[in-house]
Amino acid sequence: MKILRMAAVGAVAALALTACSSNNTAGGGATTPAGNAAATTAAAPAAGNIRVWFVGTDTPQTARDFLKTTFEAQNPGSTLTIEEQSWTGLVDKYTTALSGSDAPDLVEIGNTQAAAFTSAGAFLDLTSKKAELGGDDLLPGFVEAGSYDGKFYAAPYYSGARVVTTTKAIVPADKAAPKTWDEYLADAKALTTSTVSGMWMPGKDWRDGMSFVWVNGGQIATQGSDGKWTAGFESDAAIKGLTEFQDITMHANHAPTDQVEGNQQVPFCAKQIAYLPAPSWIKWSINAKEDAKTPGCGSTLGADDQMSAFAAPGLTAGSYAPVLAGGSNIAIPAKSAHPELAYNALKIILSDDYQKILAGNGMVPAKISQAKYLPADSFSQAAAAAAANAKLTPASPKWADVEASQVLEDSFSKIAQGQDVKTVAAELDAKINATLNG
Amino acid sequence: MSTIPIVAPGQSREESTTLQGGRRRRRPNLLPHALLLPSLIVLVVLVGWPVVKLVITSFQHYGREQAFGKPATWTGFGNYTKVLTDQSFWQMLGRSFAFMVAAVFFTMVLGTLVALLMQRLSRGMRNLVSVGLLLAWAMPALTSVIVWGWMFDTDYGVINYVLTKVTGHSWMGHQWLLNPLSFFVVLGVILVWQGVPFIAFTMYAGLSQVDHEITEAAQIDGASAWQRFWQIHVPYVKQVVVVLVVLSVIWDLRVFAQVYALQGIGGIAEKTSTLGVWIYSKGTATGDYGVSAAAAVIMVIMMLAISFTYVRQTIEEDDK
Repeated sequence: MKILRMAAVGAVAALALTACSSNNTAGGGATTPAGNAAATTAAAPAAGNIRVWFVGTDTPQTARDFLKTTFEAQNPGSTLTIEEQSWTGLVDKYTTALSGSDAPDLVEIGNTQAAAFTSAGAFLDLTSKKAELGGDDLLPGFVEAGSYDGKFYAAPYYSGARVVTTTKAIVPADKAAPKTWDEYLADAKALTTSTVSGMWMPGKDWRDGMSFVWVNGGQIATQGSDGKWTAGFESDAAIKGLTEFQDITMHANHAPTDQVEGNQQVPFCAKQIAYLPAPSWIKWSINAKEDAKTPGCGSTLGADDQMSAFAAPGLTAGSYAPVLAGGSNIAIPAKSAHPELAYNALKIILSDDYQKILAGNGMVPAKISQAKYLPADSFSQAAAAAAANAKLTPASPKWADVEASQVLEDSFSKIAQGQDVKTVAAELDAKINATLNG
Repeated sequence: MSTIPIVAPGQSREESTTLQGGRRRRRPNLLPHALLLPSLIVLVVLVGWPVVKLVITSFQHYGREQAFGKPATWTGFGNYTKVLTDQSFWQMLGRSFAFMVAAVFFTMVLGTLVALLMQRLSRGMRNLVSVGLLLAWAMPALTSVIVWGWMFDTDYGVINYVLTKVTGHSWMGHQWLLNPLSFFVVLGVILVWQGVPFIAFTMYAGLSQVDHEITEAAQIDGASAWQRFWQIHVPYVKQVVVVLVVLSVIWDLRVFAQVYALQGIGGIAEKTSTLGVWIYSKGTATGDYGVSAAAAVIMVIMMLAISFTYVRQTIEEDDK
């Protein structure tokens, strides 16, 4: 027993020494006497393994590798594990995982879902660290999405805009960039054949479908001065948009009316799509090699000189249709076992180097200053144009519950199937009102 | 008396008094109780506490904030009224029971037919069928739903392809999951496919207990195969059938993963939710845990009512 105890003391001493030395190198000229050195040792987090949860496949592999190697080099003895989560059922999963004792240390969360957790106290308050993480250089809309009650909880991670992708094999040059919304819809119908969808719009794709409502002046919901929400799908403007959506899904579209968007590169590469509204990083799925793990058609339809993108036009020439602001925030769960290490990892994610990798992959970086590294192609230009006109979902902690209930998917799907627009809109409004004001 | 009696504590005392004759009072033997304690603790911790917590939550306003530490407030029967006055709850309940009846019927019939088939097969073929059944039984629920989903895929599914080839009329683009009825047909195919192996094996085991001499005698007396099955085999395996039906009813009523995953592939969630998924989407997914707890308690009561007949029957059998 005695030998064992001695060995343990030795190990602890060795650890303490390495901790000290690494601190000194990091801090530079350490002229401080013993007292101060001890303070730095105490501040340095104990080594451990931190778990980072990324959602979906959006974060490129190069960025994942960069995060892991950089973190492990900067925090000797600690390790970082990336665990990929699925967007389906995410809010529910986080509620269980973040309130339990085995919470992850850093989590990505959809910008529209963040409020459900910031309002519940699930994340660590980062208000005092905001300046260090980027301050005013951080995307303002996403800072807002990650803040609650004046406090900053979830940092921006990346953003993306919805653009319309086309390929020369299907779309002639005169239709490759329509000038107005009406022209866009008319072209989509003109390009439709028995196999080609003029516009690929699965019935449940409310995220792209919302552009139809917004461009006509409709709203999801507005908040009155008494704090009460009123859903807006029954308004004349929204009904006009939804009717256009129904017209397009029924007459210019062969996508299944009961499915969500996903794997759009498959029909695109099969020459079944003229206009594909999707987040700008769909480019990489289409551009992928034919023998990749998730195959695309990089040598034919998806080659760089074959496909291009444009921002969906607005009602008048030169304007753009509002699109749903997509993207993610990233936060440290309040129950993280290693909050200091998690913060170190968060600093790497918001570092210029990491954000540059994201930009290079066509994702709008969380830091405005890194946007210059976006590839100089039509996708980035279209994304920038669309992002300038991007719209957020209602800023209510209950909004995530509306999304989770799938009522939007169901309603848009019903409209795509040809059901009466006004009836569906009235049912949808009633459900949104009940949830937001519940 | 050196062996430890492996009987219920109450019984052991009776037996020891009769054995030891004259002595009336005896210090109660604590050992059997002590031996029961570990499993009792495990049961209380793993089963008891969650059930108690569920019942407590069902009387509270319990949302996401409460999950992260805010104290919950009591609402009395508020959550129960919310569930029971919700029109979609009753629609869903009717749907769940109708689907359950159909699924149990087809699983039982097909499973029994496979069991009868296995009795008549040669050993080699029987092993082949057993392996096939085991593979279906061993397939994780989620994996099988995804594979079946691919087969029924609107644009690239093999079902639409084969139907087009066979009927000569184009089925490509047919959306199997769109119509709720056809959604439940697909779901039924998946559940029956997964449920048949268990029924088939259990029925096969049960049927092999039937005395050959009796069936032979009946055959000589001129009983047809149909009569022999209903008048000899079925009464023999009646207990097995009751157990299987009760278990299948419970399984098909509380099925969650298959329905939820299939809704992710297609269809209108609102019109295809069954008991488990309804509780999830009304409560858990939207952060209203009080409501989902109340709905779950209602579900538990219904399940208890269904299995009550079975439990009573088992107890009566034991008493005989």
